[in-house]
Order: sequence, then structure tokens, then C-alpha cells
Amino acid sequence: MGRRLKIVIFSLVGVTLVVAFIFLASGMSPASFFQHLLNALQWGSFYALIALGYSMVYGVLMLFNFAHGDIFMVGAYIGWGIATGLVALGMRGILPLPNWLILVLTILLAMFFTSFVGMLVERVGYRPLREAPRASAAITGLMIGIILETGNLALLGAQRRNFPSLIKTQTYHLGPVTVTNVKIMIVFLSLLLMFGLHQFVRRTKWGMAMRAMAYDFVVVPLMGVPMNTIAALTFGLGSALAAAAGIFFGIAYPVLEPYMGILVGWKAFVAAILGGRGSILGAALAGFLLGFIEIFVAAIFPSTLRDVIAYSIILLILTFRPHGFFGEPYSARLRL
Amino acid sequence: MEVRGSTVSPAETMAGNALLDEVRAQLAQIPLLGWLCGTLLATAVEQTVGESLAKALSLPAIPGLFGLRIILSPLFEILLAVIQYRRDIPGLVASLKTIAPDLALIPGAVAFILLVYILPTLIVARLSAPLTNRLAKWLLDRFPLWVSLLLHLGLFYATLHLWGDISEYRMLILRFILISIILTLSLNLVNGYMGEFSCSHPGFMAMGAYASSVLTVLFFVNDDVFGAPLLPPAIGPFMFPLALIIGGLVASVGALAVAIPSFRTRGDYLAIISLAFMFIVKSVIENLEIIGGPRGFMNQPKWANLPIVFAWTAICVWMIYNFTRSTIGKASCAVRDDETAAGAMTINTRRTKMVTFLFAAFWAGVAGGLFAHVMGYINPGTFGVLKLSEVLAMVYLGGLNSVVGSIAGALGLQLLMEVLRPLELWKWIVIPILLIVLMIRRPTGLIAFTEVKIEDLLRPRQTLRSSAQVPGEGR
Amino acid sequence: MPLLQVKNMTHFFGGLRAVHNYNLAIEPGQVRGLIGPNGAGKTTIFNLITGIYRPTEGEIILDGKNLVGFQPYEIAAMGIGRTFQNLRLWRHLTVLEHVKLARYSKIRYGLIGALFGTAERYREEAEIEERAYRLLEMMGIHHVANQVVINLPYGTQRKVEMARALASEPKLLLLDEPTAGMNPEELTEMVQVIRQIRDELGLAIFLIEHRMKVVMDLCETIQTLDFGEVIAEGTPEEIRSNPRVIDAYLGKEGVA
Repeated sequence: MGRRLKIVIFSLVGVTLVVAFIFLASGMSPASFFQHLLNALQWGSFYALIALGYSMVYGVLMLFNFAHGDIFMVGAYIGWGIATGLVALGMRGILPLPNWLILVLTILLAMFFTSFVGMLVERVGYRPLREAPRASAAITGLMIGIILETGNLALLGAQRRNFPSLIKTQTYHLGPVTVTNVKIMIVFLSLLLMFGLHQFVRRTKWGMAMRAMAYDFVVVPLMGVPMNTIAALTFGLGSALAAAAGIFFGIAYPVLEPYMGILVGWKAFVAAILGGRGSILGAALAGFLLGFIEIFVAAIFPSTLRDVIAYSIILLILTFRPHGFFGEPYSARLRL
Repeated sequence: MEVRGSTVSPAETMAGNALLDEVRAQLAQIPLLGWLCGTLLATAVEQTVGESLAKALSLPAIPGLFGLRIILSPLFEILLAVIQYRRDIPGLVASLKTIAPDLALIPGAVAFILLVYILPTLIVARLSAPLTNRLAKWLLDRFPLWVSLLLHLGLFYATLHLWGDISEYRMLILRFILISIILTLSLNLVNGYMGEFSCSHPGFMAMGAYASSVLTVLFFVNDDVFGAPLLPPAIGPFMFPLALIIGGLVASVGALAVAIPSFRTRGDYLAIISLAFMFIVKSVIENLEIIGGPRGFMNQPKWANLPIVFAWTAICVWMIYNFTRSTIGKASCAVRDDETAAGAMTINTRRTKMVTFLFAAFWAGVAGGLFAHVMGYINPGTFGVLKLSEVLAMVYLGGLNSVVGSIAGALGLQLLMEVLRPLELWKWIVIPILLIVLMIRRPTGLIAFTEVKIEDLLRPRQTLRSSAQVPGEGR
Repeated sequence: MPLLQVKNMTHFFGGLRAVHNYNLAIEPGQVRGLIGPNGAGKTTIFNLITGIYRPTEGEIILDGKNLVGFQPYEIAAMGIGRTFQNLRLWRHLTVLEHVKLARYSKIRYGLIGALFGTAERYREEAEIEERAYRLLEMMGIHHVANQVVINLPYGTQRKVEMARALASEPKLLLLDEPTAGMNPEELTEMVQVIRQIRDELGLAIFLIEHRMKVVMDLCETIQTLDFGEVIAEGTPEEIRSNPRVIDAYLGKEGVA
């Protein structure tokens, strides 16, 4: 516990220092700096939520779930469907609900349904391959991702969808910094979800089983931990978080398209690795870090350089900390 | 054992089996040389009478890909129509009527394939078997292996050339397949023989493609950006191999940047670092305005014609075959299976991994260079996640740790993608499903961990009577 | 001068002292044994000698050359071959390939030969194969030369591992529990093989073993290790009657 606390404090201090350095080096005005900081928090919370799903699956099952970015996309679309449906019902007067209730329902239902999508992916694509080389499972993951993207294109067509605006955007002026209620809500809800996951993993029986599996997935199933249930649970939880991220994304940038998962998902994957294998705290922190890097790179340099610099920084960090922020050194059991 | 629900009586099955055995025995007598003669003749037949035969069979033209598209696309159309007009029977009938003419082409296509490809090949191959057997034996006995090898390759090339000569489309497909073979084989070196998971192949390909393109355009083409050619364009085609090699070397240098941080520790780091590397390469290219940025780079001379691509593919297969069969190459398999043991048995594990990875990257770069000079245009969007999925799918479809497997995988997936083109969007649902099923059935791929020796391929086949005494014959 | 000399070797894993002040001197042609209860640090000593771990303190000298700081493959090429307690075979490779691969450091044809298939390469590969076959014949496993190791019975796999270790032409062979998990028949055969190796190839052998009978039969002198320290050293007879050895195995208040 003491060690963990120390790490958290150190990383917080580190992040603060980096942020302060960027602030000083970029020569931004404090106002625009805080504006970017806020944007970075919002942008980072998408990454963090998605990265959690990657990280959990990687931690528990030692798999790269390459379909996770597309589950994020599916979650966003499910949320879009529910929200649009509820709004339409309200318009026709069949089920008039206040907007905030629609939002709550959308988030909860989308998380619920998307978790089943995740479990389905696990059941179809990963469970039959549990004894196989892990690389083969990575291939099925890639293929499921393609199926989800193309399936979406085939069912809904290529046109972009607009997420219905459920909350009236209110802008608060704190001095020169503008804050919208949407941003605050997104960041707050994301942090709440992460905290909830953290509590779940630490306090419940299922969470303990997940941690045990992450520690050793050969022996732990022999101790009576139901491996299939835990695997499904891991995928379900990760997908639910991805769905939440999808909805938040939809609210913040109200355009959805079938390939949005590629854009965000792969980066979140890299962030998950940066956080360290199976570390929830690490994934969340790395997600936010990636958000910071991207927003500030785009603010200081031409925005086309965003990917180059973000990935280069990640490469640099991984070169010096090959196990990520909180990952333990381990030797992969390559089952080829 | 009880056979339920079978309408075929045991005797009939046995008779069927006997017939099948007989056919198999007849075919087993044909050496590779014979098959090549057969296919060569078949393509020659197509060249000479294909056009008129197609007309006689009321086909609009010579079928492009063995008539597979003609046979499959109406079936797909029917399927789509059924899905589309589930409840609308008149609509269904109307749409089926429009499909009917396509459907009528199927018998013609089948007949064409039978008459042009299958029958001539079988007849010539079987009839010439005694002769080709003797020839193959004579070649192997009297000359070094490479003479026989070159003869086979020559015949094979002639077949491909005649086949591809029919249409521009075939020429393009052939070259794409050959380039895919290079890519797949080289990725198999890393993912199969070395047991790591590399995602940076599209990145290496892009580096090779851009490097060689810049060279050829700079030196031999009058370009808006790069200005007048620095050297007379006439000598260009002769310098093209050099440009490709430099492209490959550039990719190798890129591979070094991936290899140095990731081979310090074992595990999944190569996967992540190589993935990040791929995105970096793509993004850097998008930011380099001088080579076109996101719009792409064009004006490459289209020097990568079939003979060139074929020659490079042959060299690549030959070198990788050599490498994987040598003790030095097999060291990477040892490192994959147990690195500690490999170290204790005098194998320099780090060097082995580096060499294999850089070698693989080199070929990815060459493949990229060839690709650029087939298309005459490249853009960074080509070298992204989709390309990665494609190459990985080819490797795992064909089979890990197998040269033949990679060739089969590249050929199979490339053909599949062409054949399923009429499905349009649905193609990208059908192919992934097929691959998932395959992965579940055979997680290491179709022909994994199988080696075919060149000597075995080229050797004469004994006639069935005498083969009984020779152990290991006619497996 | 002894073939291998280990001087005052100490090794820590974090704060845990795994090996303390360990000394060893092996002459060419000698067979030495290392025994001790589980967790005494026997395998750690092997890993230190072969360079998998780097000793915290001390020197390891082979033929007058200090091995500390060299990579495992370099140490192996200098003449220390080993087998592993839990078989570490290359599961997709054949027996012949195992034996050929152990000659990796002696291959002269290099990368050019590997890529272009030069005549020199084929000559050398043939030569290696020839030697490998001879070695396999000596071990009595030449009939399975082209089989993939994973399909072989356990005793044969042990022999493959030993053949592989011998193929690198070591001056010193470290055997980590060569008879572990063997049935009595395989056991006698293995003892036979080890004797044969010593007599025919004349190399020094240093072995860890749990079966007293095997150690007593084979070894000229035996070291007993407990908690990383040598508590007794001597001939089999001396070890057998040493009270500290009995204590270490049975506990201080051991069953009388």
C-alpha cells in the first residue's frame, strides 16, 4: 500500500511538473493554457475509459483485444440509437421523458447492451482460442473489428450520424476561461466510472477473482475460479466502459462514423500498454497523459504533427520503462 | 460403425474410392515438370482459341479469374436479392429476372474452365509423364540443382506470362499476388519463425515504397517537385533494382529503431512498439510535403512489370528458403521455443533476433518499392491498419513457420478478395468470418510448420509399380 | 591448474542471499557432484556459472579466463555445456536440429552463406550433420533423428538434451538432475551414458542430483549445499557419514 501511494504521489508530481513545463515553454497565456487543460481532461477521459478495457483484458487473459476500439464505436452507436429512439418517442408524445432522464437511461442501457456485445466477442472470437497461440486470438480480434465496422456500414450506411443534443450547453465564464457544463459532466462521470471500477476490482469477490487470474491464469482456474465467467465479466466490464466513452464522445463531438473506433481505439490501446499490464490506475493515468500530449501538441505545433509526437513520446517512455508505468516485469508465457 | 442416413451403399463407396485411388495413382506419376508443361499448354490454348471459344460458349469475354466470378457473382446477387426483398415477392421475382442472364453464363464458364484449363493440363501432364520424369531425373543427375530449378521457374514464368497476357486486370492481380507473397513470407519470418508479433510491416513497406520512389523519380523522371531527371531515363530500368535494394535497406534501418528498444526484453513489447512505429511512419509521411504529404506521391515510372516482380519474388522465396533451412536461420526457431536454452547452446540470441527482423524488414521494403512501381502512385493511407490486417491474415491463413504456407496464404487471400469483389461491402464480413472459423479450427494456419524441400518438389515421380519398394515415395 | 575454478562466489536476489562464499575447483576429466535439499541454491550456482545470472561477488575462471560479465552464449561457446532441470527443448524442432544448433558458434559460413546457399555452406552443414549423427549414435538415439522432440518419450528427451549439450563440444558439462523423473530402466541407462561420456570424451562433469545412489556411483567428490553454503565436501563415503549432511536433509531434530 505504501509503495502504491508513493507511486501515485510521484506520478502526480511528475504530471504536474510536465504540465508546468509545457505551460512555461509554450509561452501560452494562463487563460488559454487552462482552456487547453480542460479540453485535455475531456479528451483524455475517452482514452482512459477505453484503455481500461484493453488493460483489463490484457491483464486477466494476456490477450490483445484488437476489437475493443470497435466495441467503443458500437457502444456509441447503441447509445445513439437509444437516445434517438427515446427522443423520437418523446416527440410523438408516447413516452415523454425529461432530457436528463433520457441521458441517464441512454448511458445505462448502452453500457448494459454493449457489455453483451463484448461478451459475445469473447465467446465467439476468443474463448475457442484460449489454448491456441495468443497471436491467433489477436487475428480473430482484428477480424471481429473489421466485421463490426463493415457490419455497421452495411446496416446503417456510410452517412455520419449526429448524436441528439440532450443537454443544453451552458457556458460559464470563469474569468477568461470558458467552461461548459458538458465538459464538466463528461470528466466527472468518467472519473466516477473509473472509481467505481476500481472499487469493484478491489472490494468484490469477482474483482478479486479477476486480480487472481491476472496473477496466474494457469493455476487460478484450478482453484475453483470459473475462468469463463471471469473472462466474460472482464470483457463485459471493459465494453461497458467503452460504451460510456462512446456516448461521451458522441455528446462532445456529435458526429459518429463507423471508423471512429480505429481513430481512438488504437491510441487507447497504446495508452493501456503504457499504463502497465492490467493496471487500472496505470491505464487511466496513461489515457489522461495521452490526452494531454495530444491536445498540447496540437496547440503548440501544427496539428498534423499530433500523431508523430504522441507516438514518439510513448515510444520513448516504453524504451525507458518497458513495462509501462505500473506494470511488473514478467516473462510472457508465449504459447506458440 | 453404423453409417446412418447414407444413401450410398458400402460397395458403391468402395468402388468410388477405388476410382479415386486410381485417379490419384495416375496423378502421382506426374512430376512437377509435367504439371508445368500442362499448365503452359493450357495457357497457350487460352491464348490461341480462348477468344473464339468464349464466344462460342456465349461468354462476353475470356473469364478473368478462372470463371470464379462468373459462377459466384449471380449466386451472391440472388442471395442479396433474397435478403433485400424478403417480403416483397414481385420485387424479388423482378430482380431475379435481371439476374437470370448472368445465371445463364455459368454453364459456359464451367465448360470454358474444363476445356481450356483442366482437360489440357491433365492430358498433357499425364501423357508427357514418362518423358518429363526422365527429363527431371536427367536434369537432377547430370546438372546441379539450380539448373533444374531455373528450368522449372522459366516454365512457370512462361505460364504466368501467357495467362496474364490476356488482360490488364490479370497482369495486375498477378503482380499483387507476387508482392503479397514477399510481404507474407517476410512477416512469417518474424511472427512464425521468430515467434514475436510484429505490427510494423506496413510501415516498413511504406518506407521502402517512398524511398525507392523518391530515388526513381528524382533520377529518372521529369517531375514538378523534383525537377528534371538527373540521369538519362534510358538507364533507369537497369538502376531500378538498386533503388529497390536501397528502399529495402531504408526499411531495415527503420527496423533497427524498432528492434533496439524491443528486443531487450521478451514479451509483447515488439507488438506495441512496432504498432506505434507503424503509426509514426504513416504520420511522418503525411507531414512531409515534399513527397506529397497526405495526398500521396505519384509519377513513379511503372517499371515493375511482371518479369521484374516475378524475379524479385523468386529471389525472395529462394533467400528466405535458404535462410530458414540453414542452422543460422533455425537459431531463430530455437530462440522462439526457448530463449534460455538457446543461449546455453552458444546461440547469440540478440543477434539472431536482430538479423531475422532486419532481414524481414528489408523484404517488406522491397515489396513496398515494387508496389509503388506497379501502381505509379502511393499514398500514406495505404500503409495503415487495414494493410496490417491484410498481411497478418495472409500469414495466419497460410500457416506459421512455413514457406509454402505463406505462398498459399498470400495467393489464397488475394484470390478470395478478388473473387468476392461482387459482394462489395459484404466481402469484408465474409472474409473475416472465414478467417475466424479457420483460426478456431487451425490456430496456426493451414500449412503450419511444414517444410517442402526443393529437391522433393523437383524430383521425378516413379511409376506406381516400382514406387512400392522406395520408402517415403508417394506419401 | 584446474579447468574451472570458482572463487568466493556470492549472489543476492534482492535482499535474499542465495549463494554465499562458494568455492569450486574441477580438474579435467573429473566428475563432481552437488547435492543439497530443495532450495539450497544448486541450480542458482549452475545459472551463475553459465552466465544467466551475474554473481554479486566472486570470480569464475575457466582455463584462466574470468567468465563474469560474459553473456550465456559466450560462456557456452568457451566450453561449458549444460542441461536443465526441467527439460528445455525446442518443441518444434527435430532431434537432429537440436544437435546441429548447438554448434551455432562454430559455424563459419556466416549470413552470406545462410542467405545465398553457397557451396561452403552445404559442405559445412553436411559436416555438422555428420558429427551430429555420430553423437546421436553414441547416445543411442539416432533412429529418432528426424522426429520432432515433443513427440518423444521422456527418457529420450533427456538424452536429446544431453546430446545437444555435448554437441557444443564443452570442456565442462553441467548436468542439472539428469535422472529426474526417470523410471529405473531409464535411470540405469542414463548412468551408463554419463559414464560413457566421461570415459570416451574425457570431459569434466559437474552434476546436481537428488538420487543418492546415482551420485555415489558416479562422483569422485561431492559438495553438499545448504542455504547457499557448502556444508560438506568430500568423497561419497565421507559425505554419507557426515552428520551435518544428515542434519541438512533430515532436520536438526531429525527422526532418529
